Amino acid sequence: MKTGICSLLRGILYFNLLVFGVAAAVSAHHSFAMYDHKSTVTVNGTVTKFQWTNPHAYLELDVYDAKSNMTHYSIEMTSINMMRRLGWKSSLIQSGDQVKATMAPLLNGKPGGLLLDVTLPDGKVWETGVPAANTFARTPEVVIGVMQP
Amino acid sequence: MITSGRRIEILLAVIAVFGLLFLTGYTVVAAAENDIADIGGAWQRYGIMFNAANMATGDKNIPPPVSDPPLKAEFLREWQAQRQARRDADAAGTPIANPNYVNCIGDGMPTMMVAMFPIEFLLSDGQITIIEEAYTQVRRVYLDQQQVTLDDIEPGFFGHSVGYWKEGVLHVDTIGIKDYVQFQYTPHSRDMRINERFYKVAPDILWDEITITDPEYLTQPWVFTYAYKHMPGYKMQEYICEANREYVDEHGYQQIKIGE
Repeated sequence: MKTGICSLLRGILYFNLLVFGVAAAVSAHHSFAMYDHKSTVTVNGTVTKFQWTNPHAYLELDVYDAKSNMTHYSIEMTSINMMRRLGWKSSLIQSGDQVKATMAPLLNGKPGGLLLDVTLPDGKVWETGVPAANTFARTPEVVIGVMQP
Repeated sequence: MITSGRRIEILLAVIAVFGLLFLTGYTVVAAAENDIADIGGAWQRYGIMFNAANMATGDKNIPPPVSDPPLKAEFLREWQAQRQARRDADAAGTPIANPNYVNCIGDGMPTMMVAMFPIEFLLSDGQITIIEEAYTQVRRVYLDQQQVTLDDIEPGFFGHSVGYWKEGVLHVDTIGIKDYVQFQYTPHSRDMRINERFYKVAPDILWDEITITDPEYLTQPWVFTYAYKHMPGYKMQEYICEANREYVDEHGYQQIKIGE
């Protein structure tokens, strides 16, 4: 969901660029093959940093289990230029925000993944415009972490 | 003493000369204007180029996908082996790192014209400047100049480009690309030449027909085309590759740094 019809229209306008105009070229730059294309994971966590940089942005999360054990996750996003064209801003996510991140996990088992979408504290869901996003199969929700009080 | 009759003759001659100059000048300007197409501004890649099946859209403004390079047999074998190795690594979930990406190095020519990010054409007197948003890559095309020799320039990422307009088509000739600046991992010699023809196929669709010639490596010219769609009003963003977390591990695989 995005705020305002203008953002929606802009998102639609540049959807073609993101999905159709990028994937092949991105493969020459950067491969997403390190991420699981067959399953997704949902991570509930507290933002420790929203790294707004090129070539890609990153979302850093502290994720607590039911026994309050913490695991830190690094979740890769796309280029901030692409994200800007979808309406993202660097101020959209703040440290301390509790978010729900849907990601394609790293195949090597490390605590990280590729962000497909994130639900912010206001309930709005933002997609990152991952090239060829339809190649990542969405699977029944597997939730890691509990929201902190 | 100039007679009045003589004055009239001189006046008529002056009018005739200025008239001729005016007409000649007008004709030249008009022809030049007809030759030049309005390609200024920002453009985004147009078309679904990643899967041949997707070409069945029926949109004639989408050019065919890029073919494999027509490499000579001895080079083609190695190219195919490397491609298979990359595919196998991807399938195993351990992609082979791209050193340029890891080191925040831009594409160079002709990969830049893939236009993974928007590109912008700036038209000025004697020069056309092409900028790609990704990595803030810049090409300069010098108009109506003779191409230099390879001895006159040092190899680079974008080479040395000259061009001219003719009947609405911008012709560009580029030489001087570094050997490790490769398009689709295709090796090339110092003599590689890139010829481009930019022309509109619709009011808002621009094609770049690219022809690569390299007799040392290729059996024939490698010809392919990219299409771009105009982005009216789009303001190009800055792009600095300032914090790349990707690195190459001891096996040559692509990895990312976990943690802040």
